[in-house]
Amino acid sequence: MTNETLSDLIAALPQEDEPDSSTDAGLPAEQLKQILADLALRPVPVGSLHRLWTLGELSAQVALAYFALWIRQWFSDADTRKRRVMESNLRIGLKMFRRLGYLRGAITKLGQAAGNLPHIFPAQIADTLDKLHSEAPPMHFSLIREVLCDELGKAPEEMFAKFEKEAFAAASLGQVHRAQLKTGEQVAVKIQYPGIGRAIDADFRNLGALLFPLRLGKDWEYVKAQFAEIHRMLNQEVDYGREAETMRRASGLFQPEDGILVPRVYEDYSTLRVLTTEYIPGLHLPGFLTTNPSQELRNHFGTKMYKAHFRMYYAYMNYADPHPGNYLFLKDGRLGLLDFGCVQYYGPEEREIVRLCERLIEEDETVLPELLKLVSGISQSDPANETYLGLIKQSRDWMMEPIRSEGPFDFGDESHFKRGLEWFAGMVGSRQVRGHPMYVYFNRCVFGLKALLYRMRAQVDVRALHRRESERWRLAARDS
Amino acid sequence: MRITAEAKIATEQRILESAAKLFTTGGWENTTTREIAAAAGIATGTLFNYFQCKEAIAACLISVALTRAQQEFERRARDQESLEEDLFSFIWTGLKRLRGYRKFLSPAAETIFSPLARLSPEHAGDSIRISHLEAVERIISGHGIAAPLSAVTMQLYWTLYLGVFACWAADTSPNQEDTLAILDQSLKLFIASLRREK
Repeated sequence: MTNETLSDLIAALPQEDEPDSSTDAGLPAEQLKQILADLALRPVPVGSLHRLWTLGELSAQVALAYFALWIRQWFSDADTRKRRVMESNLRIGLKMFRRLGYLRGAITKLGQAAGNLPHIFPAQIADTLDKLHSEAPPMHFSLIREVLCDELGKAPEEMFAKFEKEAFAAASLGQVHRAQLKTGEQVAVKIQYPGIGRAIDADFRNLGALLFPLRLGKDWEYVKAQFAEIHRMLNQEVDYGREAETMRRASGLFQPEDGILVPRVYEDYSTLRVLTTEYIPGLHLPGFLTTNPSQELRNHFGTKMYKAHFRMYYAYMNYADPHPGNYLFLKDGRLGLLDFGCVQYYGPEEREIVRLCERLIEEDETVLPELLKLVSGISQSDPANETYLGLIKQSRDWMMEPIRSEGPFDFGDESHFKRGLEWFAGMVGSRQVRGHPMYVYFNRCVFGLKALLYRMRAQVDVRALHRRESERWRLAARDS
Repeated sequence: MRITAEAKIATEQRILESAAKLFTTGGWENTTTREIAAAAGIATGTLFNYFQCKEAIAACLISVALTRAQQEFERRARDQESLEEDLFSFIWTGLKRLRGYRKFLSPAAETIFSPLARLSPEHAGDSIRISHLEAVERIISGHGIAAPLSAVTMQLYWTLYLGVFACWAADTSPNQEDTLAILDQSLKLFIASLRREK
């Protein structure tokens, strides 16, 4: 398990950003092994104070590591600097992994949330934290049994024809078991770790207190709004009833000819903490890539992933967690979407932003002042905003490049991915925090999706897809 | 007049049932032995032939429930479960059996399980502790860890168990899910310590 963990961790980073093997070979592997061995023996504290203490220690370490890096940057040439940034990110990621694994799900989710704030944590850390989705230590069956008895009113052996004692997938908030209903259907039963939802809520307040110094910044209100959004989304993620509803709504968006599958929810076997859905056999991204798929197949699945993103975006449901574990590549060519806990619903304000962005995609620059005001409250004419406006333009160009390109867009193009990282680094460096809360998850979605397509080396005609999907959206808007 | 053994058992049972009802409805602090005797249809003096104080009655209620839980645990077919799972099932089965008494267990346990109460009549808690720890030793030895376990190990177990018990008695979370998490984590800690010792 340890080796797999390490390779997954490294694989999550873009290839050119792996640590220099000549200087650091084996060090992260050893470090990770030690951490995992240590984790196995550690109890998991549930007291809020203990969590606060550990998180405080973690924040101090992250801050110190970044301070040290900042000092070193003054003396480095460009290549060395880049290497050190990556080394430092990996090291910090490992430190966070250690503590977040120790604190299990509650803080794990906070760590993942922290990864969504690009002005605080870089993408590599977020990627490392995402690994925790599949690395949290499992609950044993006796505990699973009690949770199921409490939630469903019956023991698993009474409720199901078959129930596998070993989890087949882990989630940061619990784990997933395969089972068979008495009516014969194969299902996946996701079970939440007891008490984790309330623990997250309490921990979020602690995290806010630890990030108190940010309140001194002039743009604290923006950070606060983004925090509120993350808090809201985390509370939504622990509510499996809400996730079931989202799955039903998402399922209604796709027709059989789309070849995109949302698992069916079995309501009689689901509660707020247990979610039973249809089991879909298929490969996750790493498994798919090991089959050495043809370029055609890569493009086929890449297109479906982008289509799913557009379809949900235009239904005002942002599928905000494009994690490798959330996609399934089926033998028959269909794409399975899993885990609908992290779907951001758009209200009137966000819908207006979507509408204005659409005009911007059509190169209607007249909407820019209105959009800037709505998104970040800044004026285009104020010279004080020059740096920020430059970053926004960089972001806009990068985000829209695939839509504006004629024909299939090559997501395997390293220069495109690098430009995204440069923009990201610029955001981190400038400490810009102004931005609408919807972008916390929208950026995560676009970055995540592009990172997956980059790994797949997929070529997708995004322009054609966009034309079709936005047309559907316009028709639906006109009809309503 | 001689009282038969059957009559004695029936009276004891009546006292226990009446006490459980009064503790639950009227509260632990507000219930007196006089009221319990009246509810059981016996004289207060007679009650003392059976139990020296209300703590002894509560201890007996706990003991009976835990004995039944132990029997239930032993009856249940288990298939190659780990030590952690077995201990988890054993403890949780006991707590589930005590669920009906949760309203008064917290104040009652303060004296029944207090290590400082050994010289008082409430030391009925001792027999619960001994019986529980013997069962735990059997479970542990069933997993290939040879008895006897050191006094420190057993003390650690009992301390953790009382922590779980206290948390459960006052747990207001849905289905006492917070206690489930604390029990899970306490057992991880105990088993790690046990393995280090052995």
